[in-house]
Amino acid sequence: MSLVHWYLLIAAALWGIGCYGLIRGPELLRRIIALNLMGAAVFLVMVTLAARTEPADGVLHALVLTGLVVAVSATAFALALVARTLSEQA
Amino acid sequence: MNFALAAALLPLLAAVLALCWRRQAAWLVWLSTLFSLLLALAALWQVVTAGPTTMQLGGWQTGLAIRWQLNELSALLLLMTALIHSLVASYSLSQWRAAGLSADFWPLSALLQAALSSLFLSVDLFNWYVTLELLGLAAVALVLLSGKKALQAAMRYLLLSLAASLCYLLGVALLYGHYGWLDVPQLAVAISEHPVDHRLALWLITAGLMLKAALWPLHIWLPAAHAAAPAPVSALLSALVVKGPLFMLYMIWSQLAGPELVVTGSWLFLLTGSMALLAGGWSALRTPYAKVMVAYSTVAQLGYGLLALGLMLQLSDPVFTQALFLFVLAHALAKTSTFLAVGEMQLRLGGKRLSTFRGASQTMPLAMFAVAVAGGSLIGLPPSGGFVAKWHLLLPLWQHSQLWWLLPVILAGTLLSAAYIFRLVVLAFNRAKPVSPDFAPALLPQWLALLPALLVWMLAFASGALLSWLGG
Repeated sequence: MSLVHWYLLIAAALWGIGCYGLIRGPELLRRIIALNLMGAAVFLVMVTLAARTEPADGVLHALVLTGLVVAVSATAFALALVARTLSEQA
Repeated sequence: MNFALAAALLPLLAAVLALCWRRQAAWLVWLSTLFSLLLALAALWQVVTAGPTTMQLGGWQTGLAIRWQLNELSALLLLMTALIHSLVASYSLSQWRAAGLSADFWPLSALLQAALSSLFLSVDLFNWYVTLELLGLAAVALVLLSGKKALQAAMRYLLLSLAASLCYLLGVALLYGHYGWLDVPQLAVAISEHPVDHRLALWLITAGLMLKAALWPLHIWLPAAHAAAPAPVSALLSALVVKGPLFMLYMIWSQLAGPELVVTGSWLFLLTGSMALLAGGWSALRTPYAKVMVAYSTVAQLGYGLLALGLMLQLSDPVFTQALFLFVLAHALAKTSTFLAVGEMQLRLGGKRLSTFRGASQTMPLAMFAVAVAGGSLIGLPPSGGFVAKWHLLLPLWQHSQLWWLLPVILAGTLLSAAYIFRLVVLAFNRAKPVSPDFAPALLPQWLALLPALLVWMLAFASGALLSWLGG
């Protein structure tokens, strides 16, 4: 088994764990962490696919960077929402 | 192209300015929606006279640049976005103090318009992801304007929307891994030259987009989110936001799916579309709350879009593309009117249940008229836009007898939509014990709610031009 397959397998496992956590819940924080795991799986796939050629594919790296920015802001928004929910409950 | 670019960028500028000058935000955004409406009209005129154009953002070569495409379809959808936004902004401006709408509505709605306009203009898989994410975040923030009663619905919407974007992104990454293109026209060429097995990527993309567009059975988040939002926001969400992913589904399936995949996909869309029509209509009929009813009606009406998409893929007849986008236009106008009028009546009559609308034909005749007129288009009464769309869906079906089972499904869907519209109308004409308004209804918001309903009935007169633009 090549290194690329190995990394893709890890990404699939991460994706699976993320999906499970997202569906199972029920704490909101757990669901947000699960979403981040799924995001990490996607970025791992992208970086692995980029590393197949020499030199590595720059477009995929740019996509990962953009994806990270989007993931960080979405997570920040979700966490702010969780904070609001908790303060409403208290 | 310049006009289209300006129509997409002007709302972005307005959003930034509205965040800086919050006191003038309402006027700024209202003016920007009117100007972008003019710009979108100019863009459509340019396409009709000078033909379609494409543009590589930043002047990079193909493969690195993001391609924006202006053709008849994208110009029409751009115009629809600008039109609905200007109608909703005018309505919100006329009553936002009375309705207690937060000032945050203005920059967020402008952001929503910018995201949606650039979604309709771009033909690049990754740029679509970015616009989808912008669209989703702006939509969730807009739902939150209702305050704490919307928290739970908004949280659910956010989590599902993020999961859907990740599904889509994984699919895009796999497609890029197979072919090395993100640009849709180039990718289509690469797929037709060296097809490899990219089923997994396409199904991931489809699942993500179906969740985003609230297509049955992935619609569970929609009724709660759309019903919890303030009326102008519900109108924007139902009329426009779900159409973005639907447009992407059309573009991706019509250009990137191989011949065997198309058959499987068309059956999926035909079955889910039929179920959306029946299940959505039934739920709309059963719910006791007015806005939930209108939200389920969106689920049902999206079923027509799915049916048109499935038929287009299965029979590869361009008439179904026309039907699909006529539905998109007619539903956008009709649903704007319904949500604005229902919201206005809820506000004045003071209640969420359908029973609040008893005697509304007497107390708020204009708003009730708007619901009934828009409802006529949702049912598909001639000569409304909804009728023209349904006509173009039904007429070619007669020639394809193997799909006869779709006729009773469409008939049942029509009867269900007539039933839930009439349920409201019958209540409104029950004048024995009318619910009296909490305070005197203002006339201007009711007229503004009626305007899109009148426009959708006039769509029939423009249908000749629309059909030729949508490829006849």
